[in-house]
Amino acid sequence: MWRLRRITESEHAAGWAFAFPAVCLIFVFGLVPVVWSALLSFQRTNLIAPGQWIGLANYKALPHDPLFQASIVHSLIYTALFVPLSVAGGLLTAVALNRRIRGIRIYRTAVFVPVVLSTIATAIMFLWLLDPNFGLVNYLLGQVGLGPYGFFDSATGALYSIVGMTVWGWIGFDVIVYLAALQGIPQSLVEAAEIDGVRTWSMFRNITVPLLGPATLFLVVWSSINALQLFDEVYLLTKGGPGTSTYVVVYYLYSLAFSQGVAGYAAAIAYVLLVAILSLTLIQLWVGRRLVYYAS
Amino acid sequence: MAQVALNNVTKRFPGGTCALDDLSLEISDGEFLILVGPSGCGKTTALRLIAGLERATSGTITIGDTTVNGVSPRDRDIAMVFQNYALYPHMTVYRNLGFGLRERRTPKREVDRRVREISTILGLDDLLKRRPAQLSGGQRQRVAMGRALVREPKAFLLDEPLSNLDAKLRVQMRAELKRLHAKLGITTIYVTHDQIEAMTLADRIVVMSAGQALQIGTPQEVFARPANLFVAGFIGSPAMNLLRGRASAQGSAETEITAGDLRFTRPGVPDGEIIVGIRPESLVPVPADATDLAHPTLDLEVDLVEPLGEQALVHGTVAGSAAQSGAEEEQAILTEAPSRAPVTAVLPAAGLPSPGDRVRVRAAEDRIYLFSAATGDAIW
Amino acid sequence: MTSQIASQVLDPPQRPADEEEREPGRFLFSPWHLVLIPIAVVMLIPMVWMLVTSLETLNETRHFPPTLLPHTLRPGNYTQVLRQAPFARWFLNTMIVTVVTVLGNLLFCSLAGYAFARIKFFGREVVFVLLLTTLMIPFQVIMIPTFIIVKDLGLINTLNALIVPNLANAFGVFLLRQFFRTLPVELEEAARIDGASRLSVLFKIVLPLSGPALATLAVITFLWTWNDFLWPLITIYSPNTMTLQLGLTTFEGTHQTATNLLMAANVMSMLPVLLLFFLAQRYFIRGIASSGLKG
Repeated sequence: MWRLRRITESEHAAGWAFAFPAVCLIFVFGLVPVVWSALLSFQRTNLIAPGQWIGLANYKALPHDPLFQASIVHSLIYTALFVPLSVAGGLLTAVALNRRIRGIRIYRTAVFVPVVLSTIATAIMFLWLLDPNFGLVNYLLGQVGLGPYGFFDSATGALYSIVGMTVWGWIGFDVIVYLAALQGIPQSLVEAAEIDGVRTWSMFRNITVPLLGPATLFLVVWSSINALQLFDEVYLLTKGGPGTSTYVVVYYLYSLAFSQGVAGYAAAIAYVLLVAILSLTLIQLWVGRRLVYYAS
Repeated sequence: MAQVALNNVTKRFPGGTCALDDLSLEISDGEFLILVGPSGCGKTTALRLIAGLERATSGTITIGDTTVNGVSPRDRDIAMVFQNYALYPHMTVYRNLGFGLRERRTPKREVDRRVREISTILGLDDLLKRRPAQLSGGQRQRVAMGRALVREPKAFLLDEPLSNLDAKLRVQMRAELKRLHAKLGITTIYVTHDQIEAMTLADRIVVMSAGQALQIGTPQEVFARPANLFVAGFIGSPAMNLLRGRASAQGSAETEITAGDLRFTRPGVPDGEIIVGIRPESLVPVPADATDLAHPTLDLEVDLVEPLGEQALVHGTVAGSAAQSGAEEEQAILTEAPSRAPVTAVLPAAGLPSPGDRVRVRAAEDRIYLFSAATGDAIW
Repeated sequence: MTSQIASQVLDPPQRPADEEEREPGRFLFSPWHLVLIPIAVVMLIPMVWMLVTSLETLNETRHFPPTLLPHTLRPGNYTQVLRQAPFARWFLNTMIVTVVTVLGNLLFCSLAGYAFARIKFFGREVVFVLLLTTLMIPFQVIMIPTFIIVKDLGLINTLNALIVPNLANAFGVFLLRQFFRTLPVELEEAARIDGASRLSVLFKIVLPLSGPALATLAVITFLWTWNDFLWPLITIYSPNTMTLQLGLTTFEGTHQTATNLLMAANVMSMLPVLLLFFLAQRYFIRGIASSGLKG
């Protein structure tokens, strides 16, 4: 009899007891700061002395801030290059890797490994690889009559070098997602298409790509969100330079809050970033729903 | 539309399994041929070889006059319906039907004409704008068939197309298929494990087991004159009753056959261990007052009766020991009395026995089959 | 299902797409190798180059055209790095932070994930949705207030600053909740009828069956924590308290011209993650593929 009572005892206490530590941590360090950040954006503060309320002044100052404008432009250029290159590149590489030939595991591992390396380690590796004087890449380019290039030292080339480096570092992620999606395409569907007379390019265009729609959407959204948050590589390699050619939004945010002690303004920028990311994601999802076929 | 032929085809898979062993088949123009057998017998492999989805290890495959061994599926002018239909999920029914034609650069107007023609024949006119996910199983199956037929292929291949449908729909679609074939006359090669489907649909049946064709013939031939034990046990439901027996010629022209209580003679049977087979439908009850014991009789001890309406399946045991045909799906559960063999009879519902009764049954002599216990071949 | 994905991605596909490969070994050389070899080379060359440089003398690094095979191998570079910077310290710090964070996540996310999956409690749905929304917030938005919180707790410049905010992450709760829901609930019901408490059910029945999901969470959390840079950058400033990524950047600052030492330091920083990758490849892939499914 008493066993029955134990089972029908209130579950609420148990549920809350179990969930409490995680929920508490996540709320304190994940939700509360969101609200707090909004509050900060209406203040002028250097994180040490108490802040002063200045209303919307931070937000009003943003359109007049040339460095902010520049940061946005650079972030957008970076995203506009990184996303298509890594997603399309990931798709083509995944298609190439989706076959049963000798040594395929070695090729796949080679593509996956860069994903687990840290941004800093990758950046240091490329710093040397793209060294203007002694780097391997300039040497190889020289062999075909190109370069030498300044890469990270060049005001015109630094941002693009970062694009190249990060595509290298992240393409494996897209490959993994696409490989899983490719292998989810039923073999009988491919065979039916073969019998129907479909040739290689048509198979890719009419069967493979549409069926990969959900994966593509996910990768575009995911990559865009990450691209807009570019920071580590800029910090290590260029500190926003040469000049301000690689100032991106998060780097600007960081330097404002933690180098210059202008935290309220930085919080405003962070909120603009949040809105930008959410809007972009919503637009992409909306477009995606209309274009992407989802299996039932 | 042409002949399809497999000549001494062997298929060995990389792992070592031999899926087809020296198989030879000829399918005439316009014929409806069915490959039937238990799972793993190689029937699907044979179909896939004809389609070009697998390559033969040795032997040749011809479609029409051409040897197509190295030819890719898209160039063989065949069409296939897969077990799970394999419809393009992101395309409408209309596009699904027309896809193959467009890939072969058929002009749009022609594509439209043919798609609409097939759609009318198959009753898909209202569904043309839908996607596969919005269709029922039966509708999807028809779209799959339409997609194949719209290309007017030389051969129409079907891989267990009805097995994903529920029982009632299956019966209905069987009739539809038969009508369709009568109307269009396309050479059809069909694979199934369901011998009832095979019997009702085929012009000819190929009974397969372990990569070999055990018998090729019309449904009636395969049913009434099985070439060996496996075919006898596989075709016909409920399965043929099989008893172990002996043949002793004793010098005379008529050999005496004994199997349990069964005793009769037949000319020209060599000495040795044999297996006696009688179909459940062939067993008729002996009236209680019958004195004419010319036909061989069995004393059936009934243990289970399954009513089927006008008839009933009566399961019981007779003296003697059972034999296996090799076509059994599962091992029969041992009877309590190992010296008795299980036997099933199909008896009229009137005057049904009950479990525990003893019934005398007999069969006409020409309905009793004999097989060699050593080779399994039929003895005529 | 993600376990199927993990094995699918790692193992070759069951039936190949192209005809030549229907029977592997029939053709010794598939033309695809011509495409795949350059791809593999491009992916591996930076690491190979880094490794080679890490073993060269300083003069050799200055050599132009660069040599792929140095004349002398100088493993001494590695010990030199260890002497010139508190590398071992950084390694230890990072290891402590990572291991504690992983264990903390495994514990708290299991508890919470189980509660959300199986226990009906007041406010469960609302709270869960709120948790999910935190996944959509970019870190930079919350980083300043989090910094203030950590400062007010007096944790700045300690390893706790790195551990405490990350002891439970919403992705882990989500992942485990989804996984727990795929387990047959009858097992737990049977245990409870037998008299087991909820806690016992979790630890004795559910968790032992959750090996793959827990491993995936552990591996993903390990990777993320080990590679984290921005948060340590903000909260840690003493060289001895730094994590590996942070330490590497200061090392890079002081050794810009000593590229051989810099590369040696870089190689050392990569080793644990690479090792984990090769041991637990399956779980990395599964973690990435499952985040793809979630999207």
